[in-house]
This record gives sequence, C-alpha cells and structure tokens, in this order.
Amino acid sequence: LISARSTALIVGLLAVALFGVLATRDSGPDRISAHLVSQPAPPLAGVSIAGDEWDLDAQRGRWVVVNFFSTTCVPCIVEHKELVAFSEDHPNDVRVVSVAFDDAARSVEEFFRTQGGDWPVLAAKTGHIVVDWGVVAVPESYLVSPSGYVAAKVVGGIERDALEALLTELSGTIRS
Amino acid sequence: MRLTTRSNVLWFALIIGAITTLAIAEIAERPVLTHADRVHRLAEEFACPVCDGQSVAESDVPIARTIRLSIASMVDGGATDDDIRTMLVARFGADIDYTPDGRGWTSLVWVLPVVVASLAVVLVAISVRRWQGKLTYSRKLAKPLILGMVSVLAVLAGLFVAQLSGSRGLGDSLSGEIRSSTRSLLIEAGVSPIGEAISIYTQVLDLQPSNTEALAYRGWAYRRDGNLEAAMADLEAAVQIDPSFPDARVFRASLLLLNDEPARAAEDLVALDALRAPPIIDDLLSATRLRERISSALADEGSLVLALDLLRSGLTAAPRSAGLLAERGWLLVRSGEVDLIDIGVTLLNEAVATDPLNPYALTYRAVVRLVIVGDRAGAESDVLEFESLLFQPTELVALLKSEGLIS
Repeated sequence: LISARSTALIVGLLAVALFGVLATRDSGPDRISAHLVSQPAPPLAGVSIAGDEWDLDAQRGRWVVVNFFSTTCVPCIVEHKELVAFSEDHPNDVRVVSVAFDDAARSVEEFFRTQGGDWPVLAAKTGHIVVDWGVVAVPESYLVSPSGYVAAKVVGGIERDALEALLTELSGTIRS
Repeated sequence: MRLTTRSNVLWFALIIGAITTLAIAEIAERPVLTHADRVHRLAEEFACPVCDGQSVAESDVPIARTIRLSIASMVDGGATDDDIRTMLVARFGADIDYTPDGRGWTSLVWVLPVVVASLAVVLVAISVRRWQGKLTYSRKLAKPLILGMVSVLAVLAGLFVAQLSGSRGLGDSLSGEIRSSTRSLLIEAGVSPIGEAISIYTQVLDLQPSNTEALAYRGWAYRRDGNLEAAMADLEAAVQIDPSFPDARVFRASLLLLNDEPARAAEDLVALDALRAPPIIDDLLSATRLRERISSALADEGSLVLALDLLRSGLTAAPRSAGLLAERGWLLVRSGEVDLIDIGVTLLNEAVATDPLNPYALTYRAVVRLVIVGDRAGAESDVLEFESLLFQPTELVALLKSEGLIS
C-alpha cells in the first residue's frame, strides 16, 4: 500500500503543478474596460425625452459619445457638468447622447432641466439597450467613431480634458 | 496479484457505475413546464455581474432585474437556451455563466470533481479493507497500479462529462446531438474566425443544401478570405435559390463591383430596392458607399443613364440621403451637358443643406463652385468646412488637391 507520506507527496506535487500552470497562464484582456472596443456599436435607438426619434445609425460621419447614467448616481452627477462643457466645445463634430439606466423619465427631465445639457436623452424602455451594450454599472461612456465602431470605453465618471485627449488621439489614428 | 479476481472486477464495476450515474445526473433531461419556469431556471444559471455570489435570479440590483426582463423577452420570442446563453456571455463575459464551457482549461471544473470523487472512493475502499485485515503485504505493490488505472479512468470520465456538458442546455438529452440546430450553427459561425466559419457554414449546407443564409454568408466569408471564385459560386447559388434574400444581393453586388462588372452589380441593388430589406442592410450600403461606387464605375465606363437610374432607385427609398444626392449631382455635372449641370448644382446644394457635414457633398460642391460656377469664395468656404471634419476620405483630399483647393 502507498504510505501516507507518498500519498501526501503525490497530492502536493499535483497541486503545485496545477497552481503553476494556472498562475502562469495569460489572464486575457481586461473585459471591463475593453468590452465592445473595436467592434461595431450595438443598436441604440429610441424616443428621447423631448419626444424625438433618435437613432445612432443616423449619426454616421460624426463621433458620438454614448453616456449611460442615472440621476441617483453621484459620479454621474459629478461628470454631468464635464459632459455639458464638452458638448459646448463640439457643437457640430461630436454628438452626445445619454441613456438613463433604471430611472424614471420624469426624474431624468428634471435632472437635465436643473443640471443643463441639451443633447438627446433616452429614458424610456432602455433595458434592452443596457443589455445590448453590456453595461453593468453607471456611469459608463463609449466613444463611437464616424464609421459606427466603438473606439473607446470609459468606465466611471468622465472628464472633459480626458475625453478631449481621447478624441484627439483616436481621430488622429483613424485619419492616419 | 491478479487484477481479474472477482473482487477487483466488482470494484471496477462499482466505480464505473458511480461515474456514469454522476454524468447522467449532471446532464439528464429536466423538463420545463412554463416560460416563467424557464426564465427562472435560466436566471439561476447566470451570476449577477455586480453582486458577490448571487445569481441573476436572486439579486434585486437594477442590472439583474434588467437581465431577467431581457431573458423573459427572449424566451417569449422563441429563443433557445443556447441563444440566450450566447447573447449574455457576449454582452457580459463568460464569467457570469454558471455552466462553464467544457473545452480548454475551463473543463477542469468538470474533470477535477470526478477525479477527486473517484480517488476518494478507492482510497476509502482500500482503507476499509486494510482495517478489516484483508490486505496483505504481498499485495502492496499492486495498489499503485490500481490507483493509476482508476485515475486514468476517472480523467477520461471527467472529460466525457465536460464534453457533454460544455455547450448544451439542461433540457438537452444525454444522447442528443449537441449541435443539431442549424440556427445555432449559423449563430456560432457568425462569431467565429473566417476559416472556422466557412467550415461551420459547410456543416449547415451538408444538413440543408439550400440554406440561403449559409450559402450567402459562406460566400461572403470566402470573399473575405480571398477566394473570389468560390465566393461567387456560393453567392450565385444563394440568389438563384432565393432572389429575395437581401444579404445575398448586397454581397453579390459588392463582389461584382470588385470583378469589374458594375452593370450586374447595379441590377442586384435595384432588385434589393424592391425588397423589404432590414435597416442593417441600408446601414451596410451607406457605410460602404457601395451604391455610389457602383454608380461612379458605371459613369466611368460610359453608362451614365444606368448610373443615374441606380442612384434614383436608392433615393426613392431614402430621399434625404446626402451621399446619394451628392453623387447624383456630381455625375450630372460631370456629364458636361448644360441642362444636366444646372440640375447637378441644385442637387449638390440640396445635399449640403441636408447634411452640412457630409464630406462628399462639400467636396463635390467646392469643385463645382470653383470650376463651373467660378465662385472661388464659395468653394473655399466649402473647403474650410471640409477641413474641419475629423473624417476626410483620402480620395476627396486628392480631388481637392488636384483642383488646387488645398495644398
């Protein structure tokens, strides 16, 4: 019969070998910050709180910032003024669109009335949009290129300067 | 020791029986009664993406509620468990799937429990026999051999379980064909690398030789892979079987243009305009400017009427398309006919009015303003707008350079 010592040695060696193999494997790309990047943007269409039909596909030829937010999320409130400033800097070449996540349309209207921002906001029946884009928590923002591809993803609150730098970098890349 | 003694045979039979029972218990058919039952069962099979140790069924955070609604919507829409699993894994990552894949390293989660359980049974049996005093010193050397054989058997059984459990739903039977649905094969092909996709489409066509979708998409995969002859054969077959399948029309038109056959490509797009194509097809046409490029190729070979007809056909469906208006205006101006030039200038103005940031409308109008109208200030104003665009197609930059409008 195998002695207890031999059994322990075999089990131990196997465990070390397994640990070694698993520990040295590539962990793969960071899904949270890389999800959807370089892929065609998922569908994004609906009726804005202003009552207009809005469709991401109709924005081809321009950059679009797709912002997922909630009126009850503090980082969303903090980032909002940055988004307002950014949109004022880019009245023609970049479109901003916000998608409310798990929020009442009335709260969203009130939020934009008091905090500013005159871009399209989708607030009704946004559940399927959230799932299509794989959003797990707000705020999350995506930069969609003029050809309809997701060029970058920002997890957490965004800042005007960082967004500006990202846009400059990406537009240079796409041009070249 | 002889391994074929009655006692050892019984032990092996017991172990194999236990492993088989384990496998069957894991993947046996579990009938689902209602849609609500199925939604709940599926929700239990996915982890809430932002929770700690809770499934989508258990959690009440917004994203879990949203995913539950999404599952319910897909179930009501007739989606299979695999469709839903594929969708959720694509959106939220493989980590949320509580039923891990049976391939690669992930299969360890299936293999290891079987191996450990089997070894535990054997060790307990050996310990009991030693405690009973039935194990003599002369048999000691044979035991490592038995353990080794059991280990190999257990690993094979574990791999068997992993293979069966990997990508099947709980409702599938043990002996069923894992990938019997051509629909799930087509979905799988859509997210596979080209070589693998071609192989999967071929599997579908083995099952259903006249499956138009598989033919069209295998043709497109061949085209992307550089095998233009095979691509054309598949696309011709697809259009012949189902002339109303829009995807096949667009793919074939693109290939015909590549083959320098713009007249036949135009026929496909005109036929497409008569169909009720999904919006994604319009998006594809718009993003690739396929219609404009075919029109331009027709005009270049002297078939201006055909080119204009093709653009008119597109404008009937999308009268506010700045790209089509601009292309039509540009071709009319290029014709050199005085009457047509006037109409062309009007169309270019309309294109810019429709979309002031369309690079083609701005460029064509700038050139026309400079060369035909003699309005340099207007041309420079259009060029200024063009230069402010982030996306500047290289052929337009070259055109403006050739006219001396930019340096």
